[in-house]
Amino acid sequence: MSAVAAGQPGGAARSAQADARRARSAHRTKTAIGTAVAAVAAIYVLAPIYWLVVASSKNTGQLFNSQTFLPTAHLSWVANFKLLFTVDGGYFKYWLLNSLIYAVLTAVLATAVSTLCGYALARYAFRGRRLVVGLVAGSLLVPSTALVVPLFLLEHDFGLINTYQGVILPLLVYPFGVYLMALYTADAVPESLVDAARVDGAGELRAFWKVSRPLLMPGMVTLFLLTFIGTWNNYFLPLVLLGTTTRFPLTVGLSAWASELNLAGAGQPLYPEVILGSVVSVLPMLILFPFLQKYIARGLAFGAIVGE
Amino acid sequence: MQVSEQSELASTAIRPVPASRGRRPGWLPTSRGQAGWVMSSPFLILYVLFFLAPFIYSIVLSLRSPRTGGFVGLFNYGNVVGNGEYWSAVVRMAYFGVIQVTVMIAIAIALALLLDSPYCRAKKFFALAYFFPYAVPGIIAAVMWAFLLEPDLDNALKVPHLLGIASGPLNPLSFRFVLYAMMLIVTWEWAGYNMTILLTSLTSVPREVLESGRIDGASELALAWRIKLPMIRRTVAFITVISIIGTLQLFNEPMILNDIASIGSTYTPNEFIYNTAFTFGNEQLAAAQSVVLALITVVATAAFYGIMRRRFDIFGAVRGGRR
Repeated sequence: MSAVAAGQPGGAARSAQADARRARSAHRTKTAIGTAVAAVAAIYVLAPIYWLVVASSKNTGQLFNSQTFLPTAHLSWVANFKLLFTVDGGYFKYWLLNSLIYAVLTAVLATAVSTLCGYALARYAFRGRRLVVGLVAGSLLVPSTALVVPLFLLEHDFGLINTYQGVILPLLVYPFGVYLMALYTADAVPESLVDAARVDGAGELRAFWKVSRPLLMPGMVTLFLLTFIGTWNNYFLPLVLLGTTTRFPLTVGLSAWASELNLAGAGQPLYPEVILGSVVSVLPMLILFPFLQKYIARGLAFGAIVGE
Repeated sequence: MQVSEQSELASTAIRPVPASRGRRPGWLPTSRGQAGWVMSSPFLILYVLFFLAPFIYSIVLSLRSPRTGGFVGLFNYGNVVGNGEYWSAVVRMAYFGVIQVTVMIAIAIALALLLDSPYCRAKKFFALAYFFPYAVPGIIAAVMWAFLLEPDLDNALKVPHLLGIASGPLNPLSFRFVLYAMMLIVTWEWAGYNMTILLTSLTSVPREVLESGRIDGASELALAWRIKLPMIRRTVAFITVISIIGTLQLFNEPMILNDIASIGSTYTPNEFIYNTAFTFGNEQLAAAQSVVLALITVVATAAFYGIMRRRFDIFGAVRGGRR
């Protein structure tokens, strides 16, 4: 009797323990499988970048005659670096500098212009506001391709071809930035604070500068990063608008080198230079990326999610 | 993307302040109405000069004769419609889009749900790794992959031959496979970007709903399928539309692959337009081609939205919320 009475709760506890153990082990198995799947995807993403860095340490001979994914005993980085900046008239240093100029100026100005406009759309009921909202929203639908040919012709008439401003000015029109900052303003700047500044006698622009701008800063950082990366990575627009090699950004310059790889009689193909040049154009961003990821991801997602 | 943005701009998130008069001027613009104009004018001036003007000009240009510059009505459009090569580029990209966008969005959804589930370690690392390609210019990605898919440069492509499975080294850049090679590259570039947007979107799924689902004994897979996925369906539609637009405008990758693998310089509609304008100097025809491409993009986007709305009620809630 007592044995049975004592045995039953003991058995239930044991089977509950077994259940828990089974659940734990099932969880462990699923976690292992899930992590393995994630790792496979990570390899797909990271292997080419790893290869690029490894390959940038090889000279042409080593590129074609060594293990693809392993560095060779003799690293040619120093020699490749010297070649990268001297070969073909030393154009690479111009490209690097130009990419920086295009990206920094575009990002600073586009952030300023979009923030002001987005703020105005979110906060003021000025006449014609609906028209502006319509224009911004509608332009998101027009593919940029439809603009590039006429843009080239217009810039040609105004002498903007082959100039820095010719590349930068069209890139300042970033409707998504206006949209983002309008949403961000509605989200981050309490109307009462701005009203308080007004009561203190501040004009609208001063109120914006003293009260709203600091609150908008995180959104502006996001916008700066989006436009910086967008400009740094841009290829189609500078390709069309620039003809002078010393004005090229990295993307156009490197693709010019790449297009000569298979041309017969173009001299020594620039394989190591194209590869190392690619690393140079990617590496700064990859190093900064872990610190910037949060800002960028938040901005991209903000636009997509608020629409939910 | 645009539809949700549009409705949002017009509705709830933005509550403008009515213009007030008779306010003491503190700094330059005296009324709020003026301040609105002053602040939006830098953007508007740039918009008119570098967006609206070229846009209108491209339509005007497309109605002019390539030879005389005179008005010829829809002559150029007739040329576009009758050009088999242009349409084969369009059809090629439509085929490309149906496969690549589907696969990429499926991967992005799967990875986002995986990183949002309890069944994965090192989530932060994976999230960062997947997003990395966003920082790589498309042109660099294409160069990198073109080298990796080149049998002379990549020993891995020789493995099937050495094992006796294939008659020679694999060449993914040969004409037969290059479209699929391009899918591989474009997926590499954008799957993580889309995953990132979805993952952030998943954080807006209320945790209490998931908790009560768990208490009711629903498996994580069921939660993902029945609760999470329906709740992010609008974001899924959003990134799908962006991807469709991107596919129809593909340019960088085929340009580079053509340099390395000679696939021809009219492989995609965008390349075709570039070629018409800058190799043959026929800007009028190029303008007509780009207007047609823009129309195709709008129609494809609208068709996608139409299907989605009917089948999954994607935008019903947005319209309802608009009041």
